[in-house]
Amino acid sequence: MSLRALWIISHDKGENGSIRFSRRFSTVEHRAKILAGGSYVAVPEDSIMLQLLLTELGLSDPQKSYVPLRDDCLYRQRSPALELRLDGPVKRVLWPVVAISQGSLILACLCLVDAPAEPRPPLSSLLSVSQGLTLLSGLQTFLLGSGSKPDNEGLPSRLAMLPSVLLQVCPLGTPLDVPPLGAPPVSTVPAPAGSQKQPAWKTGFYRGRAVVNIALLETVRSMQYGNQSQQDLWDVYGTVTCKCDVEGVLPNVMVTLTLPPNGSPLQDILVHPCVTSLDSSILVSSSVDNFDSSGFSGPYKFPFSPPLEPFRLCSYTSQVPVPPILGLYQLKEDDNLLRVSVTLKLHESVKNSFEYCDAHIPFFNRDQMSVVDVKVSSGQLDVVKEKNLLVWILGQKFPKSREVTMEGRISFSGPAPGPTDPLCTELTAYIRLYFKVPDTTLSGCSVDQHSVQVYSSAKPRIITSRELQAKEYYIWNSTGTAPVSSGQVML
Amino acid sequence: MAVNWAERICSFSRSPSRYLCESTAEVFLSELLRELRDDRATFTVKVLLLFPLCEQPTLLCSTNAVGEETALELMSVFAQCPAKSVQFRSHLLLALTSVLVCTSCVNQHSQASQDFLELLLQITQDTSDLHGDGTLRCLRAVACDCLRELEACCPTLLSQHLELLSGLWHRESTSLHQAYAGLKTLVLRNCVYQLSQDPGAGAEHLKALLGVNASVAWEAEQESGLGGNKDSAILCTLIMSPMGTMPILQTGPDCKELRSVLSSLLEESYLLTPLCQTALLHRLIEVVAMVPGVSPSIFRAQLLRLLGTSEACLFHSTLLMKLAFTDSLFSADDEAFILKRLVILSQHPLLSTPEKLFYMDCILHFPENRPISCGDVDESLPVLLTPRLASTLVPTVFNDCITMLARLNLLSLIYLEEAEEGEEGKGVAYLYGHLTALLNIVENGGSRELVVTFFRAAFLFLLYFGHMERYSNSMIEKLSELYRCHSYLALHVIDLADQTLSHLSESNWAVGLLRAMQQVITEAPLAQLTLQDLHCHLKLLARVAEEGDIVQHSTLSFLSRILTQPSLSLCERSNWRQGNAVLGVCRRLLVHPSLDSLLIPLANTLQHLTFYYGDTDIQDHARLYYTLLTTLSREKLAGVLAQGVSKGRHQVKQRSLSAIMTDSDGLTSVLTIHQTETPILKLVEWIDSDPQGGEQTHQKGEQANSPLLEIYRAQFKDPSFASEIPLDYHLTHTQAHHVCFDQLFSIRLHFELTDHHYEELCDISVPCLFKKQPAPVVKLRLKPRWPFPTTIHASAIFTTQDGLSWYSLLPDIHVTFQQVLLPLPSPPSWGAAGRLSVFEGLWEEICCVSSKEDGNKYATSLFCCQLDVENLAAWVEKHFLRFLITDPSYEEEFKVLLFLPPQSHVLLKIKSGEDVVHFSIATENWQLLPHINTFLLTLTSLQEINDI
Repeated sequence: MSLRALWIISHDKGENGSIRFSRRFSTVEHRAKILAGGSYVAVPEDSIMLQLLLTELGLSDPQKSYVPLRDDCLYRQRSPALELRLDGPVKRVLWPVVAISQGSLILACLCLVDAPAEPRPPLSSLLSVSQGLTLLSGLQTFLLGSGSKPDNEGLPSRLAMLPSVLLQVCPLGTPLDVPPLGAPPVSTVPAPAGSQKQPAWKTGFYRGRAVVNIALLETVRSMQYGNQSQQDLWDVYGTVTCKCDVEGVLPNVMVTLTLPPNGSPLQDILVHPCVTSLDSSILVSSSVDNFDSSGFSGPYKFPFSPPLEPFRLCSYTSQVPVPPILGLYQLKEDDNLLRVSVTLKLHESVKNSFEYCDAHIPFFNRDQMSVVDVKVSSGQLDVVKEKNLLVWILGQKFPKSREVTMEGRISFSGPAPGPTDPLCTELTAYIRLYFKVPDTTLSGCSVDQHSVQVYSSAKPRIITSRELQAKEYYIWNSTGTAPVSSGQVML
Repeated sequence: MAVNWAERICSFSRSPSRYLCESTAEVFLSELLRELRDDRATFTVKVLLLFPLCEQPTLLCSTNAVGEETALELMSVFAQCPAKSVQFRSHLLLALTSVLVCTSCVNQHSQASQDFLELLLQITQDTSDLHGDGTLRCLRAVACDCLRELEACCPTLLSQHLELLSGLWHRESTSLHQAYAGLKTLVLRNCVYQLSQDPGAGAEHLKALLGVNASVAWEAEQESGLGGNKDSAILCTLIMSPMGTMPILQTGPDCKELRSVLSSLLEESYLLTPLCQTALLHRLIEVVAMVPGVSPSIFRAQLLRLLGTSEACLFHSTLLMKLAFTDSLFSADDEAFILKRLVILSQHPLLSTPEKLFYMDCILHFPENRPISCGDVDESLPVLLTPRLASTLVPTVFNDCITMLARLNLLSLIYLEEAEEGEEGKGVAYLYGHLTALLNIVENGGSRELVVTFFRAAFLFLLYFGHMERYSNSMIEKLSELYRCHSYLALHVIDLADQTLSHLSESNWAVGLLRAMQQVITEAPLAQLTLQDLHCHLKLLARVAEEGDIVQHSTLSFLSRILTQPSLSLCERSNWRQGNAVLGVCRRLLVHPSLDSLLIPLANTLQHLTFYYGDTDIQDHARLYYTLLTTLSREKLAGVLAQGVSKGRHQVKQRSLSAIMTDSDGLTSVLTIHQTETPILKLVEWIDSDPQGGEQTHQKGEQANSPLLEIYRAQFKDPSFASEIPLDYHLTHTQAHHVCFDQLFSIRLHFELTDHHYEELCDISVPCLFKKQPAPVVKLRLKPRWPFPTTIHASAIFTTQDGLSWYSLLPDIHVTFQQVLLPLPSPPSWGAAGRLSVFEGLWEEICCVSSKEDGNKYATSLFCCQLDVENLAAWVEKHFLRFLITDPSYEEEFKVLLFLPPQSHVLLKIKSGEDVVHFSIATENWQLLPHINTFLLTLTSLQEINDI
């Protein structure tokens, strides 16, 4: 349940790797020595660790095309628990090293194996592995921020804060918590008197008017092929994010998600640890079942006691009957000329009011575009010749017919070769859609303002919002071969 | 100064070993402690100073005593530190814990560790800051964690404080209750474990432990500590296998005290952070597993909350419950539900890749209620995981590389079962299709990572489905096509062949692949061949040539074609690397089983290289191979060349500089001298039990008349006269040596002097040395310039039975003063009188000169010591017989003459006084006096020891 050592490494595509921070937990090491007995393997010094980690992660010697230690084809578990093979006359391995990476930053820790070393215990019996994962991702968020783009600016100052952060979250190698996000609360409000114990994950108390903010975000992914042999795919997942400013040591809040009549049930529900209890019917429905036996379709009640910071209350997936935008993409090759034909249809159930809606149409493995003779029925077309990319900006609304088209010809006889891609060769090509629709969800799921209950004295202000966005929304050229994106339908 | 410390601490933690090479641990430690006590240093620097003690306490405190002392120092620093510097005080507590635990002070209940324990307990109970700003709470939290770690490292250390901890936990309403809860649970768990080891323990003891009024008292055995390995079991997790050796505490059904303790902990577990909650649950699971009196259903209330969580570690704790309690907590439906949940989590769009991979691993080691294969630690599929359920986890080209491989592995296991049942279903076909898709991406210029992933996927697929010829043959075709356009993949192909060969020993797929590769290479038109391609082809052909089952004619004709191909103009370019690669192929063909049929084309190729290749080194090697090929019989050729090959490709080869010539390791290892890591041989002094010339006849001589001294001295006109010290040794094996050194031949010993006191030594040859036969005698003849003790370095070059030559250092030879002493080299015909006369002459001369002139080297001296006078004669005879001038029976005074080549003498008159023995010493070389003194001291002290 403890960690023997911790490393934070930065590198530049495998080069200039350096250990930015490391910590060895000597008392845990002491236990490791006793536990492992004769098979004990000591933790090597930082410089060796760095090399071993980069090799095992396939990052060392980026300029060489084949390095036996790095590239051999033997399958072994590489993640989340790596085994590092140490040099020396006797074959010794350091295991399990849990490593996660984001951008140019690698976080790794060596977990204590509190079970007989031989035969090697499965990861599922070692609590230290999941604890290591949790701590590392917490550290990662602390160092780089939770946004999609890592914030490398603040990294040095955050690294400098690590010793005092670790003093609180992992003083002696046993992780107690993940680092707090943002500035530590400067709450000087004395604890309200009473016998109620304060949750350890709540670092202070809120004073002021009660405000509860609940945001529902649904994301839709799709792969559309436009032909008989490959079935189109789409899925939806949603998250409910809350920020609750409510007084009290352990205030109770209840959020209820509701579906419209005939709405398909929410599946694969995951909840935040602050949710106090769950009804079993909420968890039954799952996307991996081909039938849903429960017939339960809400309301979905989530009683919880909120932490101070914003948090993801729950997430779900949903099987909606149709994709929001159905597309057809057809390419025909004519010498050095491509005939392009695109149709996009907005489904009638979706609100025709976008924050934005763009279609990106890239072409790979060809010379640069020279003549682009393409017409669109609606919106505006940008041509980025050096990237061989068409950007079709559909704007805020589809026309009344809810259908837009693009027709035309493009010749590729430009002076230089365009971008390449190993997947999109010949007529394998795609359109990628980016859109966001405010105040709507595909599943129909919503949080009713009035259904939010806050069990405290003052009447709270409640703000709810919902939004639909696209992610990985692809429409493949139906005249070319398209890659399989899920085996589920094939099997 | 502060910057300096930051740098020093940084360089220490970067590489402690290198840092301590420049300084010593003691010095560094004392510097750290001094600076910690220095009032001028800031607390920021002082916190830094504690890191080495926290991270490497055993390096800095090598012994238990140093640890104890350091801890006392740190505690005095703590006592003097102002209360408001909480950060520093917290880090001090961490450093103290590290030092005391790692130097085993806690295990041995040392004074410092007892004091520290008191201090920690005091801090944890100090609630004086109840309404303060919470900074002191931080210190209390750290103190709690220190206690937890002490208890974790030395289980049951806190068993006597369980009641106290319970009280603290109950009363605490700030977030500190978490620390107390964790601590209390761990102590409880360890105590219950300890009780379970005591056959007499029962419900009453458990009550006593929990502080309930009970008729018996129980104290954990503090003395046992964790000295031996037998106790390390208490550190192990108890949740391993349902049928494992779980320690059981029999209490009967009457366990309500324990049950209520557990319930209240569980009820409030929600208030803990997920990480602490998991740890708490883990300990509670262990306690319930040890006490059958408490039903696992106590966890039921928490289950739904935990199964629905998005936190990996919290969900993990339900898997641990599953592992520990199986069907006593989980029904068959629950099991199906958990498995489904795992499948969902393994592909959930909102979870991170490492988390998903972790869940996927959990599927492969799913704790089933009724496992079919018991005790099987390898990956196996849970029965409930149907192909339908797993189909959401099929690999696609959109997965990241690691996920793709993990999914391929999982799905292969699923479809393997299907294939075994005779249904060659869509599953395998899908996986193969996926592999083909990957191959296409590689073909179209996929990244390096993707190339590596493709080959790993291919190997994985072969591992499971290599026996299905439809796929394995098709894969060979596809790989050949791939290689035709992408020769840079040669090393990947070789690796794939090697790995399948070693993992699928029955299959000949790898040979098939290599044969196909040979065909691709040899049949391709040479016109478009680039040098880069050629280099890869040659590597691959060299690997192909290692396979005895593959006919090599096409390879040879390819070699001869490329050597004469005008567009390549290999010979004219005279590139060493290319030539070497060609030779690498030839070298393997030389040991190919079908060499007889290859003889002429191979000889032609080698000859072509010899005559036309532009690089001399290549020419030479080609000539050597040609000579070997044409002059040696096949068996001999194989014998000479086989060594390198038979060692195996995968072993780490010992490389010497002259082995740069690729793949000629076997040959060069015969031609080069290897060095042994440790001495193989040693020289052991051998004293001839029958010394020649030892039996001096003490008859009265004739020539009593004068200048005998002159005659004696005249002998030295011949410079070789009595100029050597004979030293005899046995040459033997050292204790530890490898079997291959049992028989050594043509040993040549080489000696090197460490000073200028002796003439250079010649090498000595020893024909052979066999392990179980008498050791050969090595006679060293030292020729002193000055007769002082010395040390000689020795080394040996020898040949082992397998024909390899070795160089090995021998332990140094130490030549003592005693070994330099010789008897008087008087002409053999002289009797005792003659020698006595020389003695007297010399004595007189020395006494006379030393008293007169300054600046000469003559000296006299007196050495006295207490010796058993009665046994003096025997003592003198024992040590000085060879050097005795007077008759040993003449007990009044013994005259001893020690001759030291080339021309020094030490004369001794030994006489017993009242209670001491006088050694009157005379010598022409006063520099010998200290040596004589030591020598006599050694001898006389020996006598004392013997007497005692």
